[in-house]
Order: sequence, then structure tokens, then C-alpha cells
Amino acid sequence: MTPCIFAFSSHNRGMYQTIGETIKVAGVFGSAKFTPKKFEWRTQIYQISQITLVNDVKDGGIKKRWYSVMAGANLYRLCFNRDNESWSLEEVWCE
Amino acid sequence: MSDEPSTPKRILHIDINSYFATLLQQENPFLRGKPVGVLKSAGRTCIIAASKEAKKKGVKTGCYLKEARQLAPDLITVPAEFDRYLDCTKRLKKLFDSLSPDVDIFSLDEAFVDLTYCSTLYPDAHEFAQQVQQKIKADLGEWVTCNIGISHNRLLAKIASEITPPDSIFEINGDNKDAILAKVEFKDVCGIGSRLGAKLGRLGIHHPYAINFWSEEDLADFFGPFWSKELKRIGAGEDSHILSLVDRNRDHEMKSVGRTITGYKLCDSELEIKQTLYNLMEELIYKVRKMDMAGRHVGICLWGHDESWYAHRTLKYYVRHTQELFELLYNQSYSSWDRSFKVIKYGVFLNQLKPMSQISQCLLPSWNRQEKISQALDHLTEKYGLFTVKPGLLTNFKMIRPEVTGYLGDKKYQLG
Repeated sequence: MTPCIFAFSSHNRGMYQTIGETIKVAGVFGSAKFTPKKFEWRTQIYQISQITLVNDVKDGGIKKRWYSVMAGANLYRLCFNRDNESWSLEEVWCE
Repeated sequence: MSDEPSTPKRILHIDINSYFATLLQQENPFLRGKPVGVLKSAGRTCIIAASKEAKKKGVKTGCYLKEARQLAPDLITVPAEFDRYLDCTKRLKKLFDSLSPDVDIFSLDEAFVDLTYCSTLYPDAHEFAQQVQQKIKADLGEWVTCNIGISHNRLLAKIASEITPPDSIFEINGDNKDAILAKVEFKDVCGIGSRLGAKLGRLGIHHPYAINFWSEEDLADFFGPFWSKELKRIGAGEDSHILSLVDRNRDHEMKSVGRTITGYKLCDSELEIKQTLYNLMEELIYKVRKMDMAGRHVGICLWGHDESWYAHRTLKYYVRHTQELFELLYNQSYSSWDRSFKVIKYGVFLNQLKPMSQISQCLLPSWNRQEKISQALDHLTEKYGLFTVKPGLLTNFKMIRPEVTGYLGDKKYQLG
């Protein structure tokens, strides 16, 4: 079940819901890059079927890598903090 | 004057289709194929970018949200993601740089690639263009498409990419140049803004080719000596002034920095205006210091609903500290303003920038003390981010974060 915490916008059929929680991620290192394959959020395992976009951004001096992934029928925005090597689930798209 | 060099030039203009919206659609499959309107941030009411699907329904950049929803009732609005756009532009630059040594990023979503001296590597410009389209999809995603225009100068290459349908390639050459110039609208010609286009229209000049029927002297009567020459060049299909500067700007130091912000509502709170101005100046000075520069022409602009106010000064010395800029612009210039309207938009700028290596060192103890403090803050900012340390004035203020502009006027700073 996809948790959607907040009310939807009265106009948009969907929107991003902020989560901001720590997660665990498993994936594959190869060809000088890491590909996440699944993640655990609130004790549930989500199998990543597609990575739609990856971006490198800087938050101050902290380098972060954003992974936008499809798992099941939902889109999740994962964030890898390259400074402290931690993962978080930042947002979920709720239709 | 002929534009044809001894070695035939081959220039490509690459323009990602509906960049802001397309990248968000690439990222989010739920948005694909649907009319999407991008807002600067949640709560804003102006569409800054529209997806291909929204454009088909008449939604344009600059359209207000209410009007956009009338044109496309199923419009989905999402906030812009400037960090993503900048990262994708950096990746595009890296891609283009791997293909040609002559690449100029013109804006966040446009680039010129000169193939003139790569004819052995890429004998066929059309094949090269197709390769570029495929490589962009491979790098950014299958939803990301681009137009590519090919010609012997930037003006015509850009016109070619403007007029061709999305995800296609078009060439303007000697055979079709005049026909294109006789048909293309001024809105698709780089260097001619909407006001100039309207003025040309009132004289019955609706397409660049029609300019050829006017003498430079007659054009000068209406447009002045600069624009008469410029228009004649455009009429002949030669590079406009702004495009001829692309080469020159490669190694040019930045001459000015500015920062503007439009608020959510008209404001007459002195505290809020003061905080907003300080916030903008802090960001501006950070940028100047990061480039190791200083400036001596300072200015401030405020806009209301229909009014505006503007003050500027040229100093005999150089400025690179927030406190000093604040003293000049807020305590001195702003204090002279009559507060005759509520403010919706704020702007500050610092011009006549020069590298610190070219400026005589200031020997005043107060300046050097401020410089040491600023350097310490620079280290903290570099490590933890802008506004990690902020003055008491901004304690309860919702900070305005740096933004990337679509035009990327500060491309040297942003792209390195």
C-alpha cells in the first residue's frame, strides 16, 4: 500500500509528497557507477523496476545524488548523501 | 558583405524540446504525454515552461495559471527543479565537448556545435545530428528530444531549429535560405525581440527578407544607426550582434552580476523589504567573491504593480563585502526613495567587475578586517552551503535560495 500522507491539490491529479526518511538500499556497482535495485522503507521492501533520472547536485558543500525510481506503480525520489554515505527517501509521487 | 568563408562553415544549433517540462516528464512517467505547466515554485501563478502537450493546447511561457487552465483544463502543474536542469546541462556540455572542440552553451537548453574543422570525423552533418539526438536520449532518457538546426552561421542554424517540428533536424543552405527568410517570423529570429518585431510589423516588415527592400539610411530613420546595420545583416541571413558575441564571450570575464526576485505579494513592510534586499546582496556578493572579483558600480531596483524606482552609483573604489554593499544600497540609496508604492519585485546589481588580481590592494585596516571575516565565512559557505551563517536580521526570514536562469547569463560561473 502506498502511503500518501497529505491531501491532494484541488487542481492537480497528482503531486509530490514529502517524506524525508532514512532508508536502506541494495544495488549493483559496475562500470564506475552504482545502480540501486531495491530499497527498504518502514520495513517494506520495494523492488526498483526502472531508474528514470539520476542527477548530481550540491547542497552547500555536500554532494548528493538523486535517483528517481519506479517501484511497483509509484515513483520515488531517493537521495544518496555522498558525504556521509546515507540514503533517504525524499518524496513520493501520489496520483 | 558575404558571410561565406573559404572553408564552408557547418554549425549546428541543438535545442532541447520544452526542456524544463521534458526533464520532469522523463523523471516522472505519470507526467508523460500530458499537458504539464512548470511554475517557478509552488504557489506561483505564472507558467515558466510548458510541455509539448500543453503547448499544443495553446499554453505558452509567461501564461498565467488561470488562463492556462482555461486552455488546458487537465493541465498538471509542477514546481521547477533548477538543480536538476543545471546538472543535465552540465552533462549535455560534457557530451557535446566529447564530440567537438567548438561548443558554446548558449542557454540551459541550447548549444552551438561547430563542425567546420571536424569534417574528417563527421563528413555528414545530418548523420552527426542524428547521432547527437540518440546520445542525448541515451544520457538523459528516452523522453528527452531535441531539434537540431544546421547551417553556415549561428543565426540560420538557430532559425532552422526553431522552425522545425519537435525531435527533428533541418538545414538552411544556399538553396532555401531566401525562402526561409521570406517566411520566418521575427519571434523565431535571435536578436529581434517582441517590441522590435512589432515596430517592424507596423512598417509592413513581417519577415527578415523584407528588410532587403529597405536601405540602411531609411532603416536608420526609424531604428537608429546600430539597428539599421543590424537589421540589414539579419535580412541578409548573417549573424546578429548577440550571436556574433558567442565566440568572444568564451574567454570573457564576467562584467556584472545581478539578482532579482519577484515576491508573492505587494509588500510595504520595511522589515521585509530590508530582509529581502540583504538576502539578495548576500547571494550576489558570494558569487562575486567566488569568482575572486570586485565591482564598483552598484545599483538597486524596486518594482511595484505599475511603478518602478531605480538608483545607482559608480564608486572610486571596489566593493566585495555584503555589509559595505548594504550600507551603499540600503542605508544610502534606498533611504532616499519616497516609498510611493508597494514592492513586488526587488533587484540589486554590481557592475564593472574586475578580478582582484587587477585591483590595487586596499590598505585600510577596516577593509582588511572585513575581508578576513568574509574569507572565514566563505570557507563555511563552501563546506556547509550559503546562509549557513546569517545575520540576526535574517533570523526568522524565509531565505531566498540561489537560482539558475534559463538564459544562463552566468554560464562561466555555473558551468565552470
